[in-house]
Amino acid sequence: MRRHPLLPLGYFACAAVAFLLAAMGSVWLASDMAGHYYHPRLLALTHLVTLGWITVAIMGASYQLVPVVLERPIWSERLAGWQLAVMAVAVAGMVSHFALGTGLGLASAAGLLAVGIALHLLNVGLTFRRVTRWTFTARLILLGHGGLTLTTLFGVTLAFNRVWRFLPDDFFPILHAHLLLALFGWVAPMVLGVSARIYPMFLLTPEPSLTVSRVQLWSLTLGVPSVVLGVMDRPPLLALGGFALALTAGSHAASILDMVRGRKRPQLDWSVRFVVTATAFLLPAAVVGLGLAVNFLAGPRPALAFAVLLLGGWISLTIVGMMLKVVPFLVWSRVYGPRAGREPVPTLAQLCWPRAESLAYALLVSGIGLLGATVWLGDVVWIRGAGAVVALGALAFATALARILGHLRSGGVVHVEAHAR
Amino acid sequence: MKPDAMRSRTPAPAVSREQVMQALQGVVDPELAMSIVDLGLVYGVALDAGHVRITVTLTAPGCPLQRAITDWVVRAVGKIPGVEKVDVSVTFDPPWSPDRIRANARS
Repeated sequence: MRRHPLLPLGYFACAAVAFLLAAMGSVWLASDMAGHYYHPRLLALTHLVTLGWITVAIMGASYQLVPVVLERPIWSERLAGWQLAVMAVAVAGMVSHFALGTGLGLASAAGLLAVGIALHLLNVGLTFRRVTRWTFTARLILLGHGGLTLTTLFGVTLAFNRVWRFLPDDFFPILHAHLLLALFGWVAPMVLGVSARIYPMFLLTPEPSLTVSRVQLWSLTLGVPSVVLGVMDRPPLLALGGFALALTAGSHAASILDMVRGRKRPQLDWSVRFVVTATAFLLPAAVVGLGLAVNFLAGPRPALAFAVLLLGGWISLTIVGMMLKVVPFLVWSRVYGPRAGREPVPTLAQLCWPRAESLAYALLVSGIGLLGATVWLGDVVWIRGAGAVVALGALAFATALARILGHLRSGGVVHVEAHAR
Repeated sequence: MKPDAMRSRTPAPAVSREQVMQALQGVVDPELAMSIVDLGLVYGVALDAGHVRITVTLTAPGCPLQRAITDWVVRAVGKIPGVEKVDVSVTFDPPWSPDRIRANARS
């Protein structure tokens, strides 16, 4: 099962650029973030985060991790390469047309994005055809791709509606359903599924128990359709779905805590610290989300805070942690793996830059926490300050990543000589 | 074999299991920074004169390091004087678990 490490690295590099731009965008768009979330520039920022950063990173991780978790090679790496080009153009188009407010351009970019996502679904679907062992992870990855399909359908419908106006005047229920599908239908199952298989490998700990896995699977399966139908037409289902998803979050957090406690690898590197801290963000996100689901909270302020805690806290910090783990591995395998045992090579840990990673950790964790609080308060100055902290954290992360990727360019010559001395 | 030929050829040194395990101690999982011996990934070593057969496992099926680790094992054991051939087989039966890690070797 040979895989080309440059394929996921291409996805990760594009995603990291989007993350950096989005973090800087949060400083620039501070005044918009203090207002209502349905604002052209804020929609552009949201899609830069959800598509450019999160979706592209998950797709890249899929091409590295899906073969590991499914024990099957990806159907076509060449198709995955073409897909990245389509996705990059489509995401850039969507973000710019959202910001400019051009309906036809947005609809065209959304159409192109649907093509990119269809290529991904085809590739993963044909990989799944050969799966014989339906593990918890395999089921959640399948669920996640079902969620991605629905998210895309809702999103393309909304984009086309900007030109041809076929939806009812109040299209907010569809907009909310689109966001909930993206968060809980696509991203959450992917994070839950992959973490159940990958974190035990990082931490040297047993995989989560069957009971915990079942609770997560069934509560998510019940929760996602309930909240989607709840926001669209059946309000009582929203509370039910909210409780089910809070149960998913709680059992996932408990399983991560179990893994950390039972680990046989005492030292936690920065990548694992990111992942564990990301899970901690689920607690405030679940409280705010539940408050919104039962109508205890309402309006754009808590909704925006919920989005920041979930997209920035849980999902983004998880992706940052996973990238800081997977990227050095891919680069090491590519540059030094073939030379290991023949000549002195650096260890994988020596590729990393712990000082930059710790700085990124401190800035991103504090910045995202602060951003969540300040968007709730709606204070422009504080939002801008929190955004600046996040942007600096993203810069530290991008620098740490660029230094690791630099080994690809140097071919490891300088570093091998240094270690030989 | 003719006696002259026997005199001109130095007999290959016998290879011991300890030598093989010592060589395998140098094969390190790059992510975990631990030797495959300490990780408990070496399931068996069989010696037949200069022919060494090694059975290893990986921390997970589908591990992207499968090919690399096999190459490193061949390379490390192949350096032992007297080793003429190294065969490595990978098995997942029984599956590896963290309990197999040597207690004094945890990173």
